[in-house]
Amino acid sequence: MLRASEVCERAGFPTSSLVCEGFLGQAAATSVGLGMPNLAVAMIPGHPGAQSMEELRANVAQVTAQQVIDNLLNEPEAQEQRPEPAARDIVFRGSFEEVNAFFYERQWSDGLPIVPPSIDKIEQFLSFTDRDRDEVLGIVLPESRAVTIWAVAVNGVMAGCRPEYMPILVALAEAMSDPMYGVEHSGNTPGAETLIILNGPIIKELGFNFEQGVLRDGFMPNTSVGRFWRLALRNMAGFLPHKTDKGSFGNTFRVVLAENEDAIAKMGWLPNSVDMGFAAGDNTVTITRLTGGGVMASVTGSTPEQMMPYLSDGVAKQTSWEIVFTVGGITYGTLRPVLILTPILAQTMARAGWSKDDVKRHLFEHARMPAWRVEAYTEQWADFPIVSLKHQVNLGRLPRAFAESDDPNRLVPIVLQPDDFMVLVSGDPLRTNAYTFAHNGYLGFPTAKKINLPADWASRIKAER
Amino acid sequence: MAKKSTADGQYEVVWPSGERKQALQPLAKRLDTLNGKTIAQLWDFLFAGDEVFSQLEQELRAQYPQVKFVSWREFGSTHTVNEKELLASLPLRFKELGVDAAISSMAC
Repeated sequence: MLRASEVCERAGFPTSSLVCEGFLGQAAATSVGLGMPNLAVAMIPGHPGAQSMEELRANVAQVTAQQVIDNLLNEPEAQEQRPEPAARDIVFRGSFEEVNAFFYERQWSDGLPIVPPSIDKIEQFLSFTDRDRDEVLGIVLPESRAVTIWAVAVNGVMAGCRPEYMPILVALAEAMSDPMYGVEHSGNTPGAETLIILNGPIIKELGFNFEQGVLRDGFMPNTSVGRFWRLALRNMAGFLPHKTDKGSFGNTFRVVLAENEDAIAKMGWLPNSVDMGFAAGDNTVTITRLTGGGVMASVTGSTPEQMMPYLSDGVAKQTSWEIVFTVGGITYGTLRPVLILTPILAQTMARAGWSKDDVKRHLFEHARMPAWRVEAYTEQWADFPIVSLKHQVNLGRLPRAFAESDDPNRLVPIVLQPDDFMVLVSGDPLRTNAYTFAHNGYLGFPTAKKINLPADWASRIKAER
Repeated sequence: MAKKSTADGQYEVVWPSGERKQALQPLAKRLDTLNGKTIAQLWDFLFAGDEVFSQLEQELRAQYPQVKFVSWREFGSTHTVNEKELLASLPLRFKELGVDAAISSMAC
């Protein structure tokens, strides 16, 4: 892993990084971002996952070993850093089509037309924040770039956002810069995509869709802010397909999911912003990186007890290999699956006296998978070894719920505690469907930020309307 | 004065990235030989790295019989939720263990 090599080299220890053949391009690009474009890499031919042990050992003996030796003994060639434009430099002048071609050729756009980021447009966005335009919110990998208010505005313009979305974009950039989220993992091969969850009065102030079709494009705020996120990953962090973004298949960006706070308040539940540590009524963004999702159509029942078996089944089935983020194949207890209830489903539960915590507890007890399947994901089907669930329990790394018997068909939780489930309320108010997402663990851990509004927000928004 | 997109359908545009904050860093001085040197194995617990290290040990020892290794088991996975803390601890750990160089695997 190159990040480890960089730390070692910096401390005076020469390294050789081992990199599979298909990752050599990513390694070259990532090395530049680490400030060590000449990091020494030894190739593993092909991919170990598709090789027998005999083939792998032969490849290491015939190819990798000598490269490792050379890397540790031979001084690498010195490198020079290419100059780059300053933030306000005019890098191009041309027509709409010419600007778009210029940006596309340099991988600065996502393939859809962008709004040309001219200074006057950027200034409009900057007028919707009280922050200094040169403020650095963080430095993010893989290109080790400064996340600035200015760059946020530039990418907001490009994405087709309206200037008044700027406070949301800034909060997203702050979340991106938070180490808890782990943006540096955004180019990993499962290709998971971020979901942005929006809470607070700003949903209605800016006209976000929070009802039917909430995950569909077609609503300017939801769509353009979702697009901003992916442009920010590309331009502000430096994730480029075929280079630093190694998503084997990838995903397109997700539009923003705004919760239905009217429905939530009416039923006496609390919004996601409270679950994330803020006050009800705060404007917040939450980002979480999700591998995929599926709908549970026509949830039937007039009581929670009638509805929950279907919902638990759907939530449990959506999580497969991602279980490694719970049981230790990569890390422990960082899996945060998502369940989205339409208001009518949540209201039915609330009417029966169920809180959101009751839903989470029920999911913890019933959204489970057979122990043999967990061990197959970790030991047989994929390469995330844990030895066995019982072994992990004996070491004190997992709670007893994962090894209450030796029966391979016993059901075990998919998370470590009820609060690991995220339960949201949005979508078609009067349709009895639910949606669930599997999560990418600590490689995109749920991270929330408060949206700070400019001092003149109320009058500005009123004027915009 | 701020430049504006022009009325003749021409746009003057800026680039969309922030400043690169990581200046070029020199690499560590390479070793003169592997004989008598201690090499740390760093593994992210992916892609059969344990097998790879096992074979690498064999190959390196064939050319440099006095080379020594500190197993990946000593450090645990480098691809974990506490990655930053773990990586930050490596220089001191290396000094304690008498490490001269490292091999880091498997993903980027």
